[in-house]
Amino acid sequence: MSENNPTFVLSPGPHLHTEESTSKIMWWVNGSLAPAVLWGVFVFGFNAALVVLASIAGAVLTEFASQKALGRRPTLTDGSAVCTGLLLALTVNPNLPAWQAFLGAMFAIGLGKMIFGGLGFNLFNPALLGRAFLMATFPLNMTSGWAMPRPWFGAPLDAVTTATPLAVLKEQGIEAAVQLVTSPAGLWNALALGFRPGSIGEVSLVLVALGGGILLARRIITLAIPLSVLAGVALSTLHTGVPLLHLMSGGLWIGAFYMATDYVTSPSTTRAQIAFGLLIGLLTGIIRVYGGYPEGICYAILIANAMAPALDLWFRPRRAAIAGSPS
Amino acid sequence: MTHSSSSLHTFGRGGIHPGPHKEATASREIEDLPAPSEVVLPLLQHLGEPAEPCVKKGEMVRRGQKIAEGGKTGVPLHAPISGKVKPVDKRPHPTMAIAPSMAIGANAEAGPELEFPEDPEWRNLPLEEALSRVREAGIVGLGGAAFPTWRKLEFARAAKVDLLVMNGAECEPYLTSDYRVMLAWPTEIVEGSVLIAKIAGAKKVQIGVESDKPDAIEATTKAAAALTQREIPVEVVPCEARYPQGAEKQLVFAVSGRTVPARQLPSAVGVLVQNVATAHAVYEALRFRKPLLDRILTVTGPGIVQPRNVRAPLGASLADIVEFCGGIKPETNRMVAGGPMMGRALPRLDVPLIKGMNGLVMLTGRGPLEDGFGPCIRCGRCLDACPLGLEPDQVSVRVEVGRTLDCEPHGALDCYECGCCSYVCPSSRPLVQFMQVAKSALRRAAATRSAS
Repeated sequence: MSENNPTFVLSPGPHLHTEESTSKIMWWVNGSLAPAVLWGVFVFGFNAALVVLASIAGAVLTEFASQKALGRRPTLTDGSAVCTGLLLALTVNPNLPAWQAFLGAMFAIGLGKMIFGGLGFNLFNPALLGRAFLMATFPLNMTSGWAMPRPWFGAPLDAVTTATPLAVLKEQGIEAAVQLVTSPAGLWNALALGFRPGSIGEVSLVLVALGGGILLARRIITLAIPLSVLAGVALSTLHTGVPLLHLMSGGLWIGAFYMATDYVTSPSTTRAQIAFGLLIGLLTGIIRVYGGYPEGICYAILIANAMAPALDLWFRPRRAAIAGSPS
Repeated sequence: MTHSSSSLHTFGRGGIHPGPHKEATASREIEDLPAPSEVVLPLLQHLGEPAEPCVKKGEMVRRGQKIAEGGKTGVPLHAPISGKVKPVDKRPHPTMAIAPSMAIGANAEAGPELEFPEDPEWRNLPLEEALSRVREAGIVGLGGAAFPTWRKLEFARAAKVDLLVMNGAECEPYLTSDYRVMLAWPTEIVEGSVLIAKIAGAKKVQIGVESDKPDAIEATTKAAAALTQREIPVEVVPCEARYPQGAEKQLVFAVSGRTVPARQLPSAVGVLVQNVATAHAVYEALRFRKPLLDRILTVTGPGIVQPRNVRAPLGASLADIVEFCGGIKPETNRMVAGGPMMGRALPRLDVPLIKGMNGLVMLTGRGPLEDGFGPCIRCGRCLDACPLGLEPDQVSVRVEVGRTLDCEPHGALDCYECGCCSYVCPSSRPLVQFMQVAKSALRRAAATRSAS
């Protein structure tokens, strides 16, 4: 640039841009999950930590390998592969062998995301596809041999294998579910705070809600999807007499706040998001009450994912003004 | 004067808050550029036909003297400084790279500025005379579009508009020239608005000003209250500070509640929109027959040493104007003519100031697209930001795979390129440009269809 006659960069407008970026959003999502992850690792112990690390490694390495193989620019720093690995880990049994978590994450990124063209192009939530893959491939490791969380103080318990409250509810009814944690009050506490068997990230409603609150405060998500998912579950489980138990248990909140709100695989307009959330909630309730699984949110979201593009076209933004007759 | 946001007028949906960035110049009065040694006047400064020179090279002209005729659709040019006419030649042009331009070298022998005595009948001019003075004064829209004002007024009259909306919103970040004009000449603006309303046949004037300029609201409100002739009521309407409040369609809705149909002009709902600085120029043209000789612009941005509101003769070199503002900082790498949202990047400083240039924003750091852009992650932010309710996301992904002709249902033809979508996109996607690609492809296809 010469002092007297400088030349300037000719960039197209607008010449201002928001501070927000895709990678910032992704890292905020990852960061907001930290409390739930740390709690899961604390209560379930060493293997849970291994599962989390293996899942993140599987996701990141698969994305990197795929981009290298295809000669594309690596995008690891955008945080989305880490996000998928993290989310997958949160939805699996803390006693899952780490290599299986690694394999699940490979599937999630490889066949859930990269094969569609990478970030932005996948139809289904990659983390949930990974979970569905693990459910189909290692069903025993995924659904049995649950660890009992360690108590606040004192030594960790020996790995007591037991069933999740939802599984107990499904197989043996509400009384048995209450028995699991000795009293009705204990059951609610266990569900809210996380002293119960369950997936690594789902056990503490309070911490998942805290993370969701961070995303809401940062305006990364809105309440449209989470609230309508919860409303759908409430509606479809009302007749069982224990809608609250359904609302508070399983991976519902992780699903409602983190999985169903995934930008790429959810609709974009508020009205479409409400329809999408209700669909997920209703399907979750139906699967839980009438289906073969105690938990339903994973498949409910995957089914609704397939509807997202159509929902966006059915519920278009309202135009501020429409074109009149040509004058 | 403060306004709670609930009482403020505003548009219906979308919009962004890119931050005012107006602090550097808002409190600075308009300062005159020292007389330049040369001015360059492109014969084409607006839409329409180029001006036709009516003085010869070597001739001495005085400031204010007509030097080119406007032809059937344009406006004349006047000498912004006294001096000697140089031959018409191809010279650097801000937006057309190189264009035929006149030039005048300052010369004391040419004499002082022409005198512009008041016409005592200025308030009661016959319509034809008033319109002709607007035209002869070389006035174009000073908000940036630079469309010949006499044509817009003629068109508005034919379309039987009943409302004149004065645009004092100045919603573009950084710019403060309209604001300073409103503070400096509130009475002239109000009087000028009434004159414009009379020419256009409007029965009422509403001046829309964003609420972050309370003293401009106060000044214009006082001026409106002090009007001696009150056959046309003038109302100042405080509007929410929200981009793009000053876009025609948004402003018309905000102040009058009327919705301009997509792809149509405000005259479709009986409204004429004019910029406040244009009203000042019309006032001077009708009262004094004074032509448009100077341009008031904001020279600002992180890349300028001394941000200022400058009044400069038309045709002054941007280099001189930037020099007057202390020059640029070493890290300055981009220059935008107009506001940073809808303005246009210019490559070099050795180009002249033209009539439509309301700001010069010197920017540093990397521009939005310099690091490329990412895929659409379907976050929906552009849908929330679009003031028209269009779907930039859907248009962009279709354009990327070559399906430009499928973009019509998603609003590509309605877009007026305010830039809100690009601003909010976390993947830095050039959504405005995707819209442009789709729009021009659709228009080409329509033209081909109607031709066959």
